[in-house]
This record gives sequence, structure tokens and C-alpha cells, in this order.
Amino acid sequence: MNHSQRHSNLKTRVASVLLVTSKKYQKIFGVAMATMFAAGCAQNAPQDTWQPKGPNAKIIDDLQQPVFAVAGIIGLIVAVAIIYVVFKYKDRGQAIPEQTHGKPALEITLTIIPALILAVVAVFTFGAIFKLAKTDDTEMIINVTGQQWWWEYDYPAQNEFGINQPIISSGQLVMPVGTKVLLRETSRDVIHSYWIPALNGKRDAVPGRVQTLRLEADAPGLFAGQCTEFCGLSHANMRMEAIALSKADFAKWVANQQAAYVAPAKDSLAQQGEAVFLNQCVRCHQVNGLLRADGTPAIAAPDENVWSGAAPNLTHLMSRNTFAGATFDLLSKQCRDEVWNAPSDEIGAKYLAGVTEDCLNQKDLRAWLRNAPAMKPMYANPTQLTATGGKYRGMPYLALSEDDISKLVAYLLTLK
Amino acid sequence: MFSTGFKYFIGVTVLSVVALIMSLFVLDQVALAGVAISMLIVVTALLAGIAVVTRDGQTKTSTPELSKDLTTKSIWPLVTSIGVVLLALGLVISSLVFFSGVIVLLAALAEWMVKSWSERSSRDASYNSSARKRLLNPIEFPVLAALGLGVVIYSFSRIMLTVNKSIGASLFIVFGLVVLITGILFAVKPNMKRSLVVAICVLGAVGIFVAGIISASTGLREDLVIAKSESHEHPECGAERSEHFDKLAEGNLSLRSSVDATIELVDGKLTARIVGFNKPQNSVTIRRSTATNFIFHNLDAKEYRLVADLGNRAVAEPEGKTEKNLVCTQLTAQGAEQALVLKIDKPATVGTSYILSVPGIEGQSIELVVP
Ligand code: HEC
Ligand SMILES: [Cu+2]
Repeated sequence: MNHSQRHSNLKTRVASVLLVTSKKYQKIFGVAMATMFAAGCAQNAPQDTWQPKGPNAKIIDDLQQPVFAVAGIIGLIVAVAIIYVVFKYKDRGQAIPEQTHGKPALEITLTIIPALILAVVAVFTFGAIFKLAKTDDTEMIINVTGQQWWWEYDYPAQNEFGINQPIISSGQLVMPVGTKVLLRETSRDVIHSYWIPALNGKRDAVPGRVQTLRLEADAPGLFAGQCTEFCGLSHANMRMEAIALSKADFAKWVANQQAAYVAPAKDSLAQQGEAVFLNQCVRCHQVNGLLRADGTPAIAAPDENVWSGAAPNLTHLMSRNTFAGATFDLLSKQCRDEVWNAPSDEIGAKYLAGVTEDCLNQKDLRAWLRNAPAMKPMYANPTQLTATGGKYRGMPYLALSEDDISKLVAYLLTLK
Repeated sequence: MFSTGFKYFIGVTVLSVVALIMSLFVLDQVALAGVAISMLIVVTALLAGIAVVTRDGQTKTSTPELSKDLTTKSIWPLVTSIGVVLLALGLVISSLVFFSGVIVLLAALAEWMVKSWSERSSRDASYNSSARKRLLNPIEFPVLAALGLGVVIYSFSRIMLTVNKSIGASLFIVFGLVVLITGILFAVKPNMKRSLVVAICVLGAVGIFVAGIISASTGLREDLVIAKSESHEHPECGAERSEHFDKLAEGNLSLRSSVDATIELVDGKLTARIVGFNKPQNSVTIRRSTATNFIFHNLDAKEYRLVADLGNRAVAEPEGKTEKNLVCTQLTAQGAEQALVLKIDKPATVGTSYILSVPGIEGQSIELVVP
């Protein structure tokens, strides 16, 4: 399944709202309503809030199910009562009945009952809030940093997981199953909000503050999410995915993320690509271990070129399945479907295979290098950067030749 | 003879000529200012010529009989032209001059308008003047009072910045007493001559104003001069107390939650507490180019400060040289807390590292890891 399919339901909903306005379309509205109702039962909905896949989401679900039931029953009673009254007392020309005012017993009862119901709901709600705010049982920490319009993850050294130097990645959050992961979120520019519906609720990423969010997955799997705090032009294209791997697979992933940089083979296309990369890309993108022609390490300077001060670290780009805020696939449709549809116990192996040359989504990656702002709206027009003091918001159009793009793709394919 | 319009435009022209001559002396770069003011001179001179030739465009019949002998002298044409000149000068000199021009101009036009309206409102001169007052006094009085008070307060503050600290305190007491006594005097003698009251007030205000001018030209008192010259960007981050940087050290923080790490100094040991890590850490992984908040919590018996060593940075003079890039808190008393905000743009390169440490405490440090 691709991203556009995931959101076709939303389109149907918007369309249905637009149609109500005209009487002529009432029939269509009926059908749309039915579709909408049916959409609620969709099985293949990765951002469904009613399908918890971990204990934290389960806490929320255990709260919302009974509250929804209670609210539903009350709503039904009220609706039936209103309909009954409307029909029973509809104007048939009868005399206006006696008007009364003030029935203390009734009024007090009708105040106390809802208050009691809300009090009971409040008790369980507070319980859930406190459970979700716990941080002292954390087993693993991941720093999450939001910026326009992608998420960065860095894993501080944690020897119990074999992480002895920081790992840095973007778009897809990789975590071990059955582990209490604590995200420490902040932002480099405006407020964003991190939300993987299958694993927990939302938590805002606020500049200058570090806020925490618990995540834990029961079984290996891929869980989609998106930024849920409006954060500017490409807010809708700021997505993320959480990938839960078995502990053994996670250890493999960690080992690969810490593997030393391997320079492309001499005289290969990829080696030419490395040269182009040093010329064009390294001013924003860090590739750990990459050396300049003079043998010094190439340290990227996104702080001098990008408004948020950061650009994705590409050291292990091809170990991820998506790019640019998890909005585009690095895998071709077929290969990506294979990962997404794999049974839980095979997902790890499929994901760890990363992006091979056969599976690469050449079209989108080339289009990105050709003209990134054409694919994802960004304020990256070099002539309009006065508001940001000459810095780009997002990745700019770089006027690369098709030749250079081919070289770069060959090089990027080596960054596994 | 000379029509009103002519007088106005010729006035602006003359003042602009003065401004042009002055700008030749005052400004380093006259090019733009000169052109602008010269254009103003040309335009207003032309308008003055037109006004005198056409007698302000007035024909005999349009002159209203009613108001002729009821009009009184007006300063508003003069103030208006001053406003225009300030406006034009401000365009080239500074926005402050420009905006004061705008304010003067608006105020003068409003006054002028209301005045000429009131002078035509009836045949009775005293009624006309009361009409003007009714409309404008509620605005004029508060504005003038605020301006007057502002001048007095500003002058007084200049005095206080110049005189020695202890003299300043006594001066404040004396000044307060004088105001109080004068107020009591006015209150117990309600029949005092009006002119006497005015004289006392004006004398007091002028006295403070003059003293303020003298103080301002004398300059700040010595310790303020020293404090001003001390760099805030390069605080002294050593173990010893720095005279000004460590003055009035903060001890309490409102920033308590949601920080990256709390750095604690207990019994000569430095550790980092990070939400999520159950045990104290001796390194903190912080994000690249992100404002990162730390709290320094000193639980040791002496005063200490937390210092972040961020490697070397280039200095402006002499070129090519570098200096240590240190960021630090003030000296923090026992039990007190201070915040330290860091932003590190690049990962440490081989052989260098970013370190948090406490001067005077040996062998204890926390590494800042920037991935
Ligand atoms: C001016 C800074 C800048 C330059 C130069 C630049 N990029 Fe980017 N690039 C970015 C930013 C910012 C993003 C994140 C955009 C987003 O996801 O919204 C990005 C995203 C990417 C991504 C997606 C990464 C991910 O994990 O999501 C790839 C791949 C990429 N750039 C490759 C390149 C290549 C190859 C070059 C050199 C030809 C290059 N970039 C030059 C700023 C830059
Ligand atoms: Cu966002």
C-alpha cells in the first residue's frame, strides 16, 4: 500500500461534507455517509487509533472504549428522547400546555448524575495520564528532534543495547520490541507533535523544552504516524514511521548503524558520485566518516545553510525505506509492499535488507535530487531567502545535471 | 501683502536651507541627505512662489466676513513646518527623527484644524476660545503633563547615575522631603498666589532639568563606567569571584522541568541527571545546533560555577588567532541553581571534545557528545 491510498479515506470524507450543502446531492450524501461509516471498519488503516499495538496505546484504548460506550449510550438516550418529544408534541394546533418553572428535585438529580459519571471518568483518566507520564521504568532512550519538515532521531550511547557511539537517523524510528523506549522530544524551529497512533498518543515537540513520550511495541511491525501540530507549508508531508524489530534484529541494526564508512570502489560511478556529493551536498548533509580530497573529515554545516540548523544525516540512508519526512518511498512499490505486508516474524529480515539496487525507487529519488521543492513544498527558493537571512527552509533546487544525478544515486546506494 | 500659504512655504524653505547647511557640518555622508533636502528646498520655494502669485488661490468673494476680526495669532504654521523639516531630515538621518516629525506634524495639524474651526464657530471670541479648549484640553493636559514628568524623571535619573551611591540615597530622601513639604505648604495655604505656585513648580522643574543636563555631560560614576566596559560575551569563567559578572548571582530558577540535564555537584563529584536514565551519567548527548538547557545544582559547601568548554573560536583581532570559547554560570551558592544554555553547531573533531567542568574541582567533568 502506498501513501496516497492511505489517505483516500480522508478525501472521501471531505468530499461528503462538501456535498451536503446541495439538496440534489442528498442521495450521494447518503452513500458517502455509508462509505464513511464503512471506512470506520477498515482493516487496513495504519493510523487507526482503535488498534493499539503496544501497552501505552492499550492504556489509552482501555480508557476510550468504556468512555465511548458510556457516551454512546447516553447520546443514544438523549437522541431518542429528543426524537420522541419532537414527534409527540409536534404542533397540531393543540393548546399550549401549562408552563412551569423550577423543579429543584429534578434539576438537582439531573446535575448530580452527569457529575457522578464525569467524576468516575475523571478517576480513570487521571490514572491513565499518570501511567503514561512515567519515566522511571525507562529501558532505552531515543532523542527525537522535529524541524520543518522531518524528524531526526539520535540514540545516546547505551551499552546494554550495543550502542557505544551515538547513532543518528531520520524519518523512520527503529526500536526493539518489548522494550520501554522513552522519546525525549524537542524542536529546532516551531512546535511539532510526534504521533504514532498504534503505540501512544501525541506529544508536542517544543523548542527549548525536552518533553517525553513512552513507546513500546508488543510485536515486530511497522507503524505509521504524522506530525500533528501545524508547522508550516509542508506540515502534511511531515510523516514518520516506527519500526519495531525483535531484539536480535535490533542488535543487527545497531551494529550496521555503527559500521565504519566504506568509501566507494576506485573508478566506480559511485566514486564520482562521492566527489559530486562533497561538492554539492556536504555543506548540509553529514556522512560520518566521509573524507575530503585532502584527507580531512567532511563536517557538514547545516547551521550555516538551513534555517532549522539541521539536514538529515545520510550515513546510512539506504538502511531506511523512506525519505524526506517519510513522505516518499526509497523502495519501489513492489518491494515496499513486501516489507509492509510481511508477517510479523519476517518483517525484521525484510527491513534489515535495506534498499538494494533492484529495489530502489529510482524515479522519486532522482526527482528529489533534480528539484526537491517541486516534490515537497518548501521555502527553498534561493531568491526569496531574506526572511531567513539567506538560509534555506528544506532542500533547495540545485540545478544538477542528469549525469551528476546518476552518479549521486550510485553513491547514495553505497550508504547502507 | 504676503499670504498665509506663502509664509508657510517660505518658512519651510528657509528652515530646509538651514538644515542643508547644518547637514554639511554634521553628517559624514551628505550625498543622499543633500539631494533630499535640496529637492525639498526646490519644491517648497516653487510652492511659495505659486502661493504669492495666486494669493493662496483666494478670490474676494470667498473670504468669509464673519471670522476676520475673530482670528488670533497662531503658532501652528511654525510648528507644522518644523514637523515637515523633521520628517524630511528624518528620512535621511534616523527613524527617530522621522517619527518625531510625524508626531509633531500630526499634533500641529490637529491643533491648527481645531483652532481655525473654533474661530469660525460664532461671532463671540470668548465662546470660540472656550470651544477650542473644550475639545483639546482633555488631550493637551495629559500629554503635556506626561512630557513634563518624563523630562523631570529622565533628568533626575541622569543625576542619580552620576552622583556617588551614598550621596544618591540621601539626595533621593531630600528630594522626596522637598516635594512632600511643598505639597503640604500648598495644601495648608490654599489662598497662595497662583503666580507664586507656578513659579515654585517651574523653578523646581527647571532646576532638575539643568542639573540633569550637567550630570549627563559629566558622565556616569566610575563603577558604572567599569561595569559597562566589562564584556558580557567574554565573562571570566575562573574559580575566583569576578567583580561584576558574579554580582547578585541568581539562586532560583523558574526553568525547572523539561531541561536536557541537571548537572549536580555533590561532595566534589560532578554528575548529570537526565530524565529517563535511572543512574547519574557522566556524559550527555545533546543535539546539534539546538538550544539546550542545563541546570547547575550546587550541593557542595562552597560557591562554584559550571563552565562549558566549547573548544576554540576565531577572534576578530588579530586575524587567524583563536581563543578559548567558554560559557559559564555565575558563582552559585550552596543549594542554589543556575541555568546554562548551550548551542553547539558542529560535532567535536578528532582530538577535541566539549566538556562541562567546575573550576576548583579537579578531575571531574562531563562530556558533551554532539552526534
Ligand atoms: C541547503 C542545504 C541542502 C543541500 C545543499 C542539500 N540538501 Fe538534501 N536535504 C536538505 C534538507 C533540509 C532535507 C530535509 C527535507 C525534508 O525532508 O523536508 C534534505 C533531504 C535530503 C534527502 C532525504 C533524506 C532523508 O533521510 O529524509 C536526501 C536523500 C538528500 N537530501 C540528498 C541530497 C543530496 C544528494 C544533495 C547534494 C546534491 C543534497 N541533498 C543537498 C538540505 C540540503
Ligand atoms: Cu511538524
